[in-house]
Amino acid sequence: MLSRLRYILRETGDSFRRNATLTVASIITAAISLLGVGLTLLSQHAFDNLLARWEGGVEMIVFMNPTATPDQLQLVSDALTAQDQFIESYTYCDEKCSLEEADRIFAGEPGVRDLLTEDTILTQFKAVPTENTDVELLRQVSDAFSELPGVYDVSFAEDQISLITQLQSFFGFRLLLLSIFLLLAAILLIWNTIRTAIFARRREIEVMKLVGATDWFIRVPFMLEGLLHGIVGAGLASIGLWAWNSQWTTGVQNFPDNSGFSALVVVDGYDQTVMLIMLAIGALAGAIGSGIAASRFLDI
Amino acid sequence: MIRLENVTKSYSSEVVAVRDASFDVAKGEFVFLVGPSGSGKSTLLRMLNRQDRPERGAVWVAGRNIVDMPAGRVPHLRRNIGNIFQDYKLLLEKSVFENVAFAQEVIGRPTHVIKQQVPAVLDLVGLAGKEDRLPHQLSGGEQQRVSVARAFVNRPLILLADEPTGNLDPATGEGIMRLLDRINKTGTTVVMATHDQRIVNTMRKRVIQLDRGVIVRDQARGVYE
Ligand SMILES: Nc1ncnc2c1ncn2[C@@H]1O[C@H](COP(=O)(O)OP(=O)(O)OP(=O)(O)O)[C@@H](O)[C@H]1O
Ligand SMILES: [Mg+2]
Repeated sequence: MLSRLRYILRETGDSFRRNATLTVASIITAAISLLGVGLTLLSQHAFDNLLARWEGGVEMIVFMNPTATPDQLQLVSDALTAQDQFIESYTYCDEKCSLEEADRIFAGEPGVRDLLTEDTILTQFKAVPTENTDVELLRQVSDAFSELPGVYDVSFAEDQISLITQLQSFFGFRLLLLSIFLLLAAILLIWNTIRTAIFARRREIEVMKLVGATDWFIRVPFMLEGLLHGIVGAGLASIGLWAWNSQWTTGVQNFPDNSGFSALVVVDGYDQTVMLIMLAIGALAGAIGSGIAASRFLDI
Repeated sequence: MIRLENVTKSYSSEVVAVRDASFDVAKGEFVFLVGPSGSGKSTLLRMLNRQDRPERGAVWVAGRNIVDMPAGRVPHLRRNIGNIFQDYKLLLEKSVFENVAFAQEVIGRPTHVIKQQVPAVLDLVGLAGKEDRLPHQLSGGEQQRVSVARAFVNRPLILLADEPTGNLDPATGEGIMRLLDRINKTGTTVVMATHDQRIVNTMRKRVIQLDRGVIVRDQARGVYE
């Protein structure tokens, strides 16, 4: 068992050295493509932060003054209920809920977030319209309560969301597409590297087969090599992602207030999740590339 | 130990390498396969360790028909069969010791067994003291001895040799033959393809002669002709 492990490690190490150029090429390609996937995931998450307020089909928010009394809240609540023809449902997001939301929205501007307390935060009624209600109708309906006491303002998703979602899907989709093509290139490169490694050792493989080595024994070092390409690539991509994210986060903090970008950062540890995802994809890509090469070219 | 039953192997509709061949080889026998170039000797040897498969007939090795043996069992079959070739097939960047140890390593023999058995077999083939040389630092005869050591180190039941003396001068070839004879005397069945008239005539072992894929002679204590 131990001699077998030593054998595998020695063979894999030898192969890395003998095949350095191709190995480096496949690792770099894997790293860049995985970084692309990672950045896509990360930016989507950041955009989601930006849109945190509008999650769950919310199209209209009635912001209440921090000083609004329970009676005033009840009044608005009643008014919303009365419009059940147009408003499918609504929820009240109290001080605690609104502060939690602010954690995400002002993630990039901790200074601003720190100014908000239970006494200064605007609470919100979030309304989901019925299916056939369009925004113009909603605006007319809103007249009924925008003038009620305690109401600070009424916002409509359409005014804020459309640009952001457009940006999000524009960048997200294209970045992902690019990354997938690169990932495909990485798999092909790993495949080619392993194929070359197998070809370089065809004499050894012939002898191994003749003396009765099992296919798995022959295959494992090659598959391990491909797997390592993917994993090392993912490691490099993780470093890149970390650097990228921390620089961007610092950058956003220096943007002017109200730049609209304050939520466009990831500080909640999601970047670590993304790294794990990249590692999984990298390992999978390496296993696929080397697995195909090993099963296809070992019949020599 | 080996039994062929009506074995036919063709590479294409024109090239029939072996045609309807049948013979038996008992345990511990020494058999020469002779015949002109292209008569099917190598093809026949390759069918004995499942490097090739016949389209028709049965090939029994150690009590098993290996023609439709599942691929997963073939490695275990081959652990019982040693191979020697005209071109030695040594690994050029490995030392003598490593070349022989390789055959044990890749079938998972533990290190302490390797450390004990490799020197013993190198001693048997007369290469004691040359363990650390690389193949290019050896003569042809010595290289062939390494390959004999590698074929024999796992104590196979059968040794297949395809023109093992083909690249060697007569005296060196005779040395290899003495070695194969000694291995044969330990009970290992030896099947050897050769063009070497002198060797066949001096050894006086069983001779199976092929001509265009057909067995035309099977003679105990035979000569080359
Ligand atoms: N892989 C192959 N593909 C096609 N034809 C082959 C192949 N191997 C051998 N042959 C043909 O099969 C016939 C028998 O070849 P084989 O190598 O068995 O002969 P041999 O007796 O070993 O010859 P030699 O003494 O020259 O080594 C020949 O006609 C050869 O051309
Ligand atoms: Mg031949």
